[in-house]
Amino acid sequence: MGVVEGALIYSNLLALLALGLTLTYMTTAVPNFAQGSFAVFGSYIALTLLRLFGIHPYKSLPIAFVLGGLLGAGSYLLILKPLIRRGANVVTLMIATLALDLILLGFRGIYAGILGKITRQPCEMFMFSYLVKPVFGVPDILLVSSLVIVLTLLGLFFLLYKTKFGIALRASVENPMLSEIMGVDVEKTRLFSWFLSGALASMAGVLLPFKQEIVPATAELVIVSIFASSIVGGLSSIAGAILGGYIVGMSESLITYYLSVVTGNAGLLVYGKVVSLVIIVVTLLVAPRGLAGIRWRKVIRWRSGR
Amino acid sequence: MLRTEKLNAGYGELHILFDVDAKVNEKEITCVVGPNGSGKSTLLKAIFGLATIYSGKVVFRNEDITKTPPHEKTKMGIAYLPQTDNVFVNLTVEENLKIAGYTLDKEELKDRIDFALEVFPELKYQMKRKAGTLSGGERQFLAIATALVRKAELLMLDEPTAQLSPKFAEVIFQKVVDLRDKYGLTILLVEQNVKRALEISDRAYMLISGRVVFEGKAEDLMHHEKFERFCIGLQ
Ligand SMILES: Nc1ncnc2c1ncn2[C@@H]1O[C@H](COP(=O)(O)OP(=O)(O)OP(=O)(O)O)[C@@H](O)[C@H]1O
Ligand SMILES: [Mg+2]
Repeated sequence: MGVVEGALIYSNLLALLALGLTLTYMTTAVPNFAQGSFAVFGSYIALTLLRLFGIHPYKSLPIAFVLGGLLGAGSYLLILKPLIRRGANVVTLMIATLALDLILLGFRGIYAGILGKITRQPCEMFMFSYLVKPVFGVPDILLVSSLVIVLTLLGLFFLLYKTKFGIALRASVENPMLSEIMGVDVEKTRLFSWFLSGALASMAGVLLPFKQEIVPATAELVIVSIFASSIVGGLSSIAGAILGGYIVGMSESLITYYLSVVTGNAGLLVYGKVVSLVIIVVTLLVAPRGLAGIRWRKVIRWRSGR
Repeated sequence: MLRTEKLNAGYGELHILFDVDAKVNEKEITCVVGPNGSGKSTLLKAIFGLATIYSGKVVFRNEDITKTPPHEKTKMGIAYLPQTDNVFVNLTVEENLKIAGYTLDKEELKDRIDFALEVFPELKYQMKRKAGTLSGGERQFLAIATALVRKAELLMLDEPTAQLSPKFAEVIFQKVVDLRDKYGLTILLVEQNVKRALEISDRAYMLISGRVVFEGKAEDLMHHEKFERFCIGLQ
């Protein structure tokens, strides 16, 4: 797999993950630190189905979508909603998602051990890269991951702009109180956003092992990149999240690769996350509201000297 | 049609309304007046379930709805129009109207939108515009139109003419009268434009510091000594 191809695949998945993070942030104002765990949950679903039943990971995408959705919805219903109802502030909610992340990490570790015993193969560390096949001269995972993000965006656009529920969802984001007055069940739109966020993350998780090695703690590394993408996009913009996913994904892969070539030190590749962290810091300093917050008209006018 | 019994309400610890007994008769305009901060908006919010009720009852068509959640009340035929932030500025006019009829099925929604546009034909040419780009008056038209889409029998309007030019305000007053006379709706109206509001109203309440100090016919309030003192207070 070429460097650019790898970077594109990674960016596709990151866009999917940042989209979910942004969605739940918009509807419930919770910065979800467990989003990485939602993804690796999907990786383990795919691994389980592959090892136990020989199901190809591509075919487990729908199952991962549903189960991941249930994980997302369950997290909201059982943990976040009760806290919000008691008037928890954003810091409390954030720490709750961190706790959830660590709980899920623990479960993954235990589960990997059990699955390893049953299948007599190590499950603490795995990859699906041996399954990649070339199609039209590119790795099929590049096509599949691109297809997933394109279909997701088309579906989301249709939902948000063409259906009544989608309009209700956008209305609830803008003004929950007025939506309630209009007879919208605002809680339902919130629950739905958590379902969708978990479902998309889980699908990304199914595809991630085609590109990189998965260990139970992969989630805690990936979350850095997800936040970077979402922050670059302004945290409250769907288009921003997608764009952020590509900016962060491409920079992380290509900058570290370039540095490792220039310095002749392949060990540098391990430090990809540094790029994301730098991007977070720079964004917060220069454009705290991300790409979506920049007034582009003004920038253009300024550039053209008027 | 609607009445409150010894209603005590407020926000959390902050007690605003004290033992308010009020009633709204069918197919009438009932007006609530009073100085700023007297609790007029709070009364509407309490009735609709958006303020904390400590004690007392809200009864709609002989059914106790004190604890019914707002979105259920919408289904029962009560529409509430908040004083501020009463349209979705990021949605188009059309989307605002659609979301207003969220609880209706497709056919009914279409009928209701047609009805709302019949009352406010001005909006017909603005359907694709974002509500945030409308003028104050147009926005208020849209806000009332969304209340009409909700298939309400009781409209609770909180200062629909606030910040409008006298000309626009008069248009709104005319539409409110039409809603009662032509379409048989019941209206609970909170107004700052006291004189004009009382002229079109059947019954009136005056609230001061969260207590009812006058209840009766709207025209009686205009000649009442308390009203004169209140108007002097306004100047
Ligand atoms: N959401 C809220 N939380 C806490 N206090 C509030 C809230 N809304 C209003 N209040 C307070 O309740 C009191 C009554 O307010 P209310 O809005 O009912 O008055 P009003 O009669 O509608 O006044 P106006 O004519 O200015 O609209 C005021 O002292 C106000 O500060
Ligand atoms: Mg008020």
